[in-house]
Formats: sequence, C-alpha cells, structure tokens
Amino acid sequence: MLGLRIFVYLVVALMLLPILITFPVALNAMPRISFPPAGLSPRWFLSILSDQVLLGSIVRSFWLALAAAIVAVAISLPCAFAIQRGKFRGREFLEMLITSPRMIPQIVLVLALLVYFESLGLAEKFVGLVLAHLVITIPFAFRTLLVSVATMDRRLEWSSAVLGANALQTFLRIMAPQIKTGLIASFIFTFILSFNNVTLALFLSGIGQRTLPVEMFTRMNVAGMTPVIPAISFVLALVGVMLFVILDRTIGVYRYLVGRE
Amino acid sequence: MSRMPRKKLAATARSLSGVARRNPGLAIAALLPVLLLLVFFFILPLMQLLQLSMLARQPTLQQPAPGYSIANYARIFQDSFYLQMTATSIMLGVCTTFATVVIAYPVAYYITRISGWERTLISVACLLPIFVNVIVSILGWYILLLPFGVIQQALAALGMVSGPVQLLRTFPALVAVLTYEHLPFAVLILVSSLQAIPTDKINAARLLGASVPRIVRSIIIPLTMPGLVASVILVFSLSTSSYLAPILIGAQRIPVLPLSIFSYGTELQNWPLAAALAFVLLVLVVAISYAFSRAMNRISRRGEWEMV
Repeated sequence: MLGLRIFVYLVVALMLLPILITFPVALNAMPRISFPPAGLSPRWFLSILSDQVLLGSIVRSFWLALAAAIVAVAISLPCAFAIQRGKFRGREFLEMLITSPRMIPQIVLVLALLVYFESLGLAEKFVGLVLAHLVITIPFAFRTLLVSVATMDRRLEWSSAVLGANALQTFLRIMAPQIKTGLIASFIFTFILSFNNVTLALFLSGIGQRTLPVEMFTRMNVAGMTPVIPAISFVLALVGVMLFVILDRTIGVYRYLVGRE
Repeated sequence: MSRMPRKKLAATARSLSGVARRNPGLAIAALLPVLLLLVFFFILPLMQLLQLSMLARQPTLQQPAPGYSIANYARIFQDSFYLQMTATSIMLGVCTTFATVVIAYPVAYYITRISGWERTLISVACLLPIFVNVIVSILGWYILLLPFGVIQQALAALGMVSGPVQLLRTFPALVAVLTYEHLPFAVLILVSSLQAIPTDKINAARLLGASVPRIVRSIIIPLTMPGLVASVILVFSLSTSSYLAPILIGAQRIPVLPLSIFSYGTELQNWPLAAALAFVLLVLVVAISYAFSRAMNRISRRGEWEMV
C-alpha cells in the first residue's frame, strides 16, 4: 500500500507540474518564455487586461459556452425524460444516436461541418459555431441528465398526483428539486466542455473572431509568444480547479462525469 | 383533498404515470429538437463529407459535378508517405493507451480506497486536464520540454546529461503529453468500474485465504475488464485522432493522420483529400476499437469461467 501511495503522489505531482509551471514563467519581467524567470514582475498578468484581442476572445468564448450550455441542457432534458420513461420501441437506438457524436473524432466532425457550413453559408458565423458546439456537448448533457432522471423517486410524483397536485405543481415542487443538482452539474460540465474546445472554433470561427483557446493556440503556434499566454493559462487553470472542487464537494464528480447510475 | 372527485384523481395519476406511453406524440415532441439538430448538423455533414471524399477534385462553377471515383483513397493507400503516417498514428495511439492505462489503473484503485479531502486532491490532480484547457497543459509541457528548459535543467543538476538535449519534437515527448491529456478519461471509467466491485466478493476471497496478488488477479481485474476495455477504446480513439499536441509539441515533425487532415482542410484547402484521410482515420479507429473489444470479450469470458 505504501508503494502504491508513493506512486499515486508521484502521478499527482506530475499532473500538477505542467499547470503550476505556467505561474513562475508568467511572472517573467522579460518578454520571453524562460524558467527560472528573468526577474519577477506582475506585468504579464496586468497586460491581460490591456490586450484587447485577448479580452475580445475571452468574451466571445464566454458567450459561446453560455449559449451552448443553456440550449444543450434545455433540449436534452426533455430527451432524457422521454428516453428514460418512454415505453416506445427504438429507445436504445435513440440513446446510441444521441450519444454518438462523442465516438467520432472531432477533427473528422469539424471537417464535415466546415464543408457543410460552406455550402449553407454558415461558415465563419457565430451561430454555426454554436450549432457545432451543441452537437458535441449534447451527448454529455444528455448522459448527465439521464442519470438524474433515472435516480428520481417516482413514488413522490404519484403521491403528489394522488394528493391532488396538477402536473405543473408536481413538476415544480417534486421533480425540479430532485433534478436540480443534475441540472447544475450538466450545465457547468457543458459550459466547461464548450469553453475549452479548440478544434471546432479553430476550423469554424471567422477571421478576427477567434475564441480564447484558438487565440492561445495561434500565439503558441507562431513564434514570438510573450508570457501573457502563460499568465492567462494560469488564470484559466485556477478557475478550472475552483469549479472542479465546487462540483466535487457538492455533487460528486465521478457520478456525473461517467454518466452511470 | 378528500373532496376531490375520484375521476379527476385517477386522471391526474394516470397523466403522471408514463406520459410518454399514453401519448407518443409528447415523446416525439420531446425528442424532436435534439434529433433535428443531429440529423442536420451531424449525420448530413458526415454524409456530405463521405460524398466529397469520392470526388477527385472539388466541384467548381465550370464543372459542378466532377464524377465519383476512389482516386483519393487510392492515392492514400498507394503512397508510402501516407502508409507510414497511418502506421505512426496507430503506434502513437497504442503507446499512449498502454501508458495511460498502466498509470490510471493503480491511481483509480487508490482513489476508491480513500475519502474526504485526500480523494478530492487526487481527483483534482488526475482529472485536471478535463477542467483546464488542453492548450494550457500543452503549454506547460512545452515550457518543461524546451531546450534548456525545466526538465533539461533538472537532468543536468542530477548529472545525467550535459549539453543540449532534444526533447521537443520527439516521439516519447509526444506520448507523454498525450498520456497526460487522456489520463483523466481512463481514471474516471476505472474508478466507477472499481467502485462497482462488491466488497463481499473480496472479503470472501480474503476469508478463503487468497493473497493480495491473487485477489487482484482473480477478482479485481476480471471484474473491471469491461471498464478496462472501455478506457482502452476511449483513450485509443482520442489519442489517435488528436492533433494539437502533434502540432505544438511534435512541431509537425512526427507526421500523423490528424495533422494532414488539419493542413489539407485548413491551409491547403484540398477538401476531397482531407475528407478521404478523415474517413481513413475514422474507419481505422472504429475497426481497431471493435476488434479489440471483440478479442477482449472472448478472453474475459474465459476468465470468468476460471473464476467460477
């Protein structure tokens, strides 16, 4: 057990190292990527706020993720109810169909969407990007919500009906509280998934319309990256860790991420 | 409440007990938005891509339909450059999958044995790449691997190397970064599969005098076989089709299929060839995953018989 423990903590250290290393590098006083940093200064963290292109991409990513998360959860919820409770033929097939976009390599999917959008005139449009994000986030939103719907206690709904509540009252007072955590988990998870996605926006966003991950990718890929990229990376990592801890301590990450009852 | 008419009460109860069964129209309405989205923005685009991959060249205004052929596929399978690339892709996927599962299994086992804040800490660390942008972790690795970067300084301080070492643009570095990226998926699946093992089975084995390695070999591994197979398939398909690390860490020096899909699709705009390469990748991933799961099914079933 001790050997196992040492191994696990070694893995933990290796998992944290690449994320943590961005912090000292971002504190560099010089406009270059080096470790140990050549002089300490918070200038690159401050320059995030004055970098209009970067700020614009953050705002765009935020709206994109928000739109994708809201729509994905809103249209996946009725789906989850229909699949979980419906008694019609082809439910397994439909479930497989809805979760199938995650089986396709994203680079294949995005190439297909690029070609398709070109013929529809949706390429380089924000709405096209939202639609593409919906395709990849719905499988996850749907699986998460399916778990919530499956673990609901039907007897409470029957009692509510027997006691004379109408369908709306039953939904608001009995069903909504039971799936609340599932809804929140699914929303946060979908938001993160969409906010972090690089592939779709790399192919589908228009010139000057880059999302934050694409902007970071582009600056890394062409030479001359300044420590502003490590700085924004560290900020993103902090936000990600915070969201994770909140999710894990309140809802339990494993239950919802794996999407199993 | 007691004054409520019996008939209405029964109707309300019925309306809630299986809305969809009573009213298939409602189920269809509930499914419709998602199904329409998937048909129009998932299935149709993929079909169009398949069609495009069979065009020798892109339709233009002068020649709206150039006619179908398998020229693109023939080009891929006749050119040793693409065959080499396909082999590299598979090799990269296999190495990454092996490393990921070997690391993830003990970690997942440890996670199921602990609770509270220690569990949160280890989970945060091991699931970090899901919550933090992939570009961030690639950037971290890039900094670590740079010439005269952190890893080289550490190795030099230990007296293991002297002079510059080439770490970026090497195959092992690429495997390391891809393993890092995909470890969370394997950990997630394996944790849930290890948690599902009934503790009384392990207790029974212990009572009957089985040693720890024996318990691991005869109970834990066979019972988590579905989880293992699932994580192998997921990690293999994700790592074989990733292109960000090959671009940023491999600097395009290690040619893999997704890289050429990316460059034909975006920079060179040769969409028919990009489409053909995309379908080669897709079929490759699906076929290898399917073959692997079939093979493992056969083996693990035999394992179950041994166990009984």
